[in-house]
Amino acid sequence: MRRRAAIFFAAMVPVCAAQAAPGGTLRLTAHAIGSTLDPHIAYLQLQLQVSATVYDGLMTYPKAAGPVTGGAIPDLADVRPVPQDGGLTYVFHLRDGVRFSNGKAVDVEDVAASFRRMFKVHGPTAGSYFGVLVGADACLKDAEHCALAGGVVADPAQHTVTFHLTRPDPDFLNQLGFAQAAIVPADTPAHDMGNEAPFGTGPYRYVRYSPNGGMTLERNPYFREWSHEAQPAAYPDRIEYRFGLDEEAEVSAVENGQYDWMGDGVPLDRLGEVGRRYTDRVTISDFPNIYYLALNVNEAPFNDVRVRQALNYAVNRHAMVIHEGGEALAQPACQMLPIGLAGFEPSCAYTVGAAPDHPAHAWKAPDLDRARALVRASGTAGQTVVIVAPAGATYLAIATELRSTLESLGYVASVRGINQAVQFTYIQNSANHVQAGLTGWIADYPAPAAFVQTLFSCASFHPRSDNSINMSGFCDPAIDALMDRAGTVSMTDMPAGLALWAQADRAIMEKAPAVPLTQIRRIDFVGPRVHNVVVSPVYQLLLSQLQVR
Amino acid sequence: MLMTILRRLGQTLFVLTGISVLVFGVFFATPGADPTARIAGRNASPQTMAQVRHEYGFDRPLPVQYATMMKKLFVTRDLTSYVDRGEKVVPEVFKAAPVTLSLVTGAAIIWVVVSITMGTLAAALRGSWVDRGLMMLGLIGISMPVFWVGQVANLLSQSRYHDTIVFRWVPALGYVPFTESPWGWFKALVLAWITLAILFIGLYSRVLRADLIAVSGEDFMRTARAKGLSPTRVLLRHGLRTSLVTFVSLFGMDFAQLVGGGALLTEVVFGLQGVGRLTYQALTNLDLPLIMATVMYSAVFVVIANALVDMVYIVLDPRVRDGRA
Repeated sequence: MRRRAAIFFAAMVPVCAAQAAPGGTLRLTAHAIGSTLDPHIAYLQLQLQVSATVYDGLMTYPKAAGPVTGGAIPDLADVRPVPQDGGLTYVFHLRDGVRFSNGKAVDVEDVAASFRRMFKVHGPTAGSYFGVLVGADACLKDAEHCALAGGVVADPAQHTVTFHLTRPDPDFLNQLGFAQAAIVPADTPAHDMGNEAPFGTGPYRYVRYSPNGGMTLERNPYFREWSHEAQPAAYPDRIEYRFGLDEEAEVSAVENGQYDWMGDGVPLDRLGEVGRRYTDRVTISDFPNIYYLALNVNEAPFNDVRVRQALNYAVNRHAMVIHEGGEALAQPACQMLPIGLAGFEPSCAYTVGAAPDHPAHAWKAPDLDRARALVRASGTAGQTVVIVAPAGATYLAIATELRSTLESLGYVASVRGINQAVQFTYIQNSANHVQAGLTGWIADYPAPAAFVQTLFSCASFHPRSDNSINMSGFCDPAIDALMDRAGTVSMTDMPAGLALWAQADRAIMEKAPAVPLTQIRRIDFVGPRVHNVVVSPVYQLLLSQLQVR
Repeated sequence: MLMTILRRLGQTLFVLTGISVLVFGVFFATPGADPTARIAGRNASPQTMAQVRHEYGFDRPLPVQYATMMKKLFVTRDLTSYVDRGEKVVPEVFKAAPVTLSLVTGAAIIWVVVSITMGTLAAALRGSWVDRGLMMLGLIGISMPVFWVGQVANLLSQSRYHDTIVFRWVPALGYVPFTESPWGWFKALVLAWITLAILFIGLYSRVLRADLIAVSGEDFMRTARAKGLSPTRVLLRHGLRTSLVTFVSLFGMDFAQLVGGGALLTEVVFGLQGVGRLTYQALTNLDLPLIMATVMYSAVFVVIANALVDMVYIVLDPRVRDGRA
């Protein structure tokens, strides 16, 4: 069934754009969004997708199809600023004439206040992305009285906002393009607004939200398109998003035309049916993501690099692809930088006929002999390994496959399925002594640092914390230094910087703190009433660009 | 009388406290359930984690956390979800209640009417093929899991035969408020009503039949027949009324637990955002405040329903009334 679906999807082409026709009501369905509307706090994917039509930051990513290769582009800022003082100062000049959905013009004080607010509401990225701002330390200690003194300076006369950093941050502009750096009015209350959304500048505004029922968005009457690439004008007049159906029911509802798009993925058992009967309503697109098995380098047997390499050699990535729905929907992953991301250079160290010092171009087949030799050399065969996986059907199937691989290498392996809501944080905490955790990563913004540096730098490892995104507990000062250099060089010489990122990616894979498994593709299934499906690798399907017939 | 009410109130408080302590304890004993990281968000810095932990009071002793949660749930009623910091759970439960009430009331009307008809008919025609046929149907109804019936109903009405004249009228899954469109409300719920009612029809009709047969040999029934009353009158006025005591007691408890969230599976399958689905969602997300609110809501309903059933007993059964007097 899955193979048939794969063959079928491979032959499909994206839905073509048709003549522009603004108007109509877009009807969407999803299981739930399960998030606050507050743009400085929300971090779940479905909410970020909606948020992209309501809010803007100083920077953003192109709201268009195709890979993002050039980094963040200006949004509320009129040009991408050039770093000054060796990367310690950025001066943004605001666009004129942009208004919030309450009619108020966006001014520089709104920008400064928005950054203070990120700290006051304990936004997830306040510390991790903007902790580099002058004054951020004080804000992280005492959020209530956060002033970001000297960090964000508004100049109403020049219509500019100047950011001062304590140290150069090569990804600063990219991070400003992430959704949580949204600009809201200065008088927005400094607490999580929950179901009451702050005013935004995008083409829509929220008019109703019930976490258990749904949400309604209407046109922002003050929106005028200032940059088609940064924030294109919307087509539908209104968006009705209803929650409550499961994936199976969502597929039936979209098939019947009761809804125009489903927010959740099409379940594997319906892929064949959808592909066979509704070919012209399906779009498959690439986006930067990696599904992998994080190996805890501080727990036996994975504290031995030979064991980590052995597992990388032994894993049958073709089987993983089948579990994800076939070759049209997933591809084998050999490295932690995803295909299509700037800095990606094909390099497969662990496949038959390859090694870290002479990687192959792509994954071919597992090399069990090599793997068994490495395990023998490590003397760890017979040890117990527990794989902690999210309790979802696909995850458990993949984990079971990995368990078989470990058993074939001589380990006593088992799978422990944990509620999906807590598995991601559970496997991060070193106190839980997780040996191997199955997970995936979709970065906040498309840049090499958001993958390899976020997931494997020493700074990302926080022992005994549920929020230690470096789940492997991997810390190699030499690789850290290489990644820092890659970032610094990228600021002035992008090609040279990207080459260094590729080098860092290879260096990490040589130490094998994880087993990259697959990179999946996104499927968007739309109803018969809509067309002009545009899928961005960052914002996914652009809701504002769907046209209702 | 006052003592009875006070005793009942004391029992209620005891039950609610016990349940809430249990829910709270089990949550914090679950490995990885600490909600700080999930509230703080993905990749939050250690400082942000510390601030969230302090703001939510997760750094305080568990009994203090329990007392704070109970205060926020019952006194200030501003307890917020761990998944969505802005979502106040008490209004959320009350917003979901009408959906559940619509579902359960409709299903209850169906199952009461159909099961009384089936049970009475089967008892009146005891031993006939009608009796055997009806009881077999009842058994089939009891044997079919509600989520399976619901999925099959959806498969037929939403997928396989949606475009046929039989099911073209079936709207998308989900709830339509009565105030928005009474006809839409009916269409959105009718299949869910039937699905939920099937099990209870089977159960209640068999119970009623057995009771009717049991009372038919009682002295008061013989007396009624000896007075020359028609068999129909004897069955309906004397037999059915007495047999309804068990029926009502079952109904009270079932209705209460369904209104309290027991119709979870039906709500999930039909995409109805009622209390049951809210409970399901809370459990899926391990969202303690929402779990606590829905469990407390359910417990209160069951306790109140218990008391109501006791009162209805008194009206229906003279023996209970006389005994109390």
